[in-house]
Amino acid sequence: MKKPQIAADTRPWRDPDAKPFVRIRNVTKTFGDVYAVDDVSLDIYKGELFCLLGGSGSGKSTLLRMLAGFETMTAGVIEIDGQDMANVPPYERPVNMMFQSYALFPHMTVENNIAYGLKREGLPKTEIAERVGELLKLTRLENFRARKPHQLSGGQRQRVALARALAKRPKLLLLDEPLGALDKKLREDTQYELVKIQETLGVTFIVVTHDQEEAMVLATRIGVMNEGKIAQIGEPQEIYEFPNTRFVADFIGTVNMFEGVVTEDEDDHIRIDASSEAGCDIYVGHGVDCAPEQILWYAIRPEKMVLSRERPEGDANITHGLVQDIAYLGDISMYRVMLDSGKRVHVTKTNASRYDEDGIRWDERVFVSWASDAGAVLTS
Amino acid sequence: MRRGLFIPIVAVLGFVFLYAPIVSLIVFSFNESQLVTVWTGFSTKWYGELFRDPQILGAAWLSLQIAATSATIATILGTLAGIALTRLGHFRGRTALTGMASAPLVMPEVITGLSLLLLFVSMEAAFGWPAGRGFTTIVIAHTTFCMAYVTVVVRSRLVDMDRSLDEAALDLGATPLRVFFDITLPIISPALISGWLLAFTLSLDDLVIASFVSGPGASTLPMVIFSKIRLGVSPDVNALATIIIAIVALGVAGATLFGMRRAKN
Repeated sequence: MKKPQIAADTRPWRDPDAKPFVRIRNVTKTFGDVYAVDDVSLDIYKGELFCLLGGSGSGKSTLLRMLAGFETMTAGVIEIDGQDMANVPPYERPVNMMFQSYALFPHMTVENNIAYGLKREGLPKTEIAERVGELLKLTRLENFRARKPHQLSGGQRQRVALARALAKRPKLLLLDEPLGALDKKLREDTQYELVKIQETLGVTFIVVTHDQEEAMVLATRIGVMNEGKIAQIGEPQEIYEFPNTRFVADFIGTVNMFEGVVTEDEDDHIRIDASSEAGCDIYVGHGVDCAPEQILWYAIRPEKMVLSRERPEGDANITHGLVQDIAYLGDISMYRVMLDSGKRVHVTKTNASRYDEDGIRWDERVFVSWASDAGAVLTS
Repeated sequence: MRRGLFIPIVAVLGFVFLYAPIVSLIVFSFNESQLVTVWTGFSTKWYGELFRDPQILGAAWLSLQIAATSATIATILGTLAGIALTRLGHFRGRTALTGMASAPLVMPEVITGLSLLLLFVSMEAAFGWPAGRGFTTIVIAHTTFCMAYVTVVVRSRLVDMDRSLDEAALDLGATPLRVFFDITLPIISPALISGWLLAFTLSLDDLVIASFVSGPGASTLPMVIFSKIRLGVSPDVNALATIIIAIVALGVAGATLFGMRRAKN
């Protein structure tokens, strides 16, 4: 009985009665004729770490800048903590932002950078010193307090930017590609650190990123954006396993996509004739909202497919091809298989054993199969 | 080895070409003779003469005052123009303003001088200000063309400046005015200093425009030197030029040192 209780507590977006902390309603932003953000509606809840994920020009940064107040909306409403932000200038919003370029003030020391927002608030000197001290400790910058930004490394600058954005204890922190400028190793360490800080302080984070892996690691929920619109909102697992469009399936991770025509449409299963692309029928073990003769797409992840030398049993979800390429990545191996239909698919296999003498080799003919619930059926 | 010699030789020739006239001017300022081109012995008497000449001293003081005043006004106005051109987005007439702000750079001085003279004369006829020509009119004239230079310098610095710095300060609760004084101004201050120095030098150096818009009793230093030269080159002008060169050299050295120290910090 306890489990659903916890789930409801930590995932307010699953609770229809929960009050969103940030409400974005039908927000549109045009630059001339271009719709940078096109009728976006989005609810973000207190304590969330929400990732806006999208390619360049998808409108994710524009949306973030509208939340911060640097861009005015063409239409729509943004509410933060129940307050309409329409006529609130950036310097009066309960929001702070961490910039992609970090935007550290080059003529101020680390300490003064962090204290800047607190001084504007007019806090007493002792309190400012105390809070700056706390933040320096939190971001492990105590030894660098008197340095100027150009005397710091990339990772240190990133931490100063974070400390400065957190200094005013904002209700909402916006982060624009926070890890973009760091190298891979540092990124990975920092990702977890960011999550830890977010959890410790309980601040609501909205992170903009183009890096899907980063979004998966950080986010409680992800909003995938494409051409100014929200393509899908969901928990990382939902976005990965249950993409709602071909765009999302393709944007997140690697996917094999087969086009086909519905031949059987029953309540408990459907059958898709995908002979032209997959070279076999696809059997889906659950009902789908579609009609016979409808064209749709079947998206399946590489790790959900199995390679074998012997033909598995069954009359669907089995096709064959030639192994063209094997990429050994240590933890997994990625096989590129050219199906007889002429379509190339990616299949991955976990290297669970250190000895794989009898493994499938290059130029071997193999069967590729998958379970009836392994892929997602997409109608658009 | 041949290649090793070629570059030093070219460099020496280049420096000789650039600096021989100045060096000879400095050397002859210490010449005892009345004749500028004949060396008769070392003397500092022309410096003494110079400091007893009330006309030159007066003109130098006037020039300095004009240069300081117009450089200061030009820096303020030029900075505002630079900000308007880079920070206010696309307002009506921005392109026109961009062109017009830099037009004085390419305008022949004679035309600038003449047009300003006509303006001052007709203004005086229309509402009696500026009454007569002199300090005020020269300052106005110098401000107009110096402002163009300051605008260019400040504008290029502002274009290079990361806009998100301003936004970050806004985001942290600073009002736009506060942002300007806390963030923008300190960051563009090197451009303001070099803009001011540029305007100061240009004003100090200007002969043509000043000749048009000045009036009786308000002769700037270049005007005085020029009129002296017309009566034959006298050695005290050499002495004056040497002093100016010394001041400029000190100024440049100081600015460079300041810049190096800033870069180190």
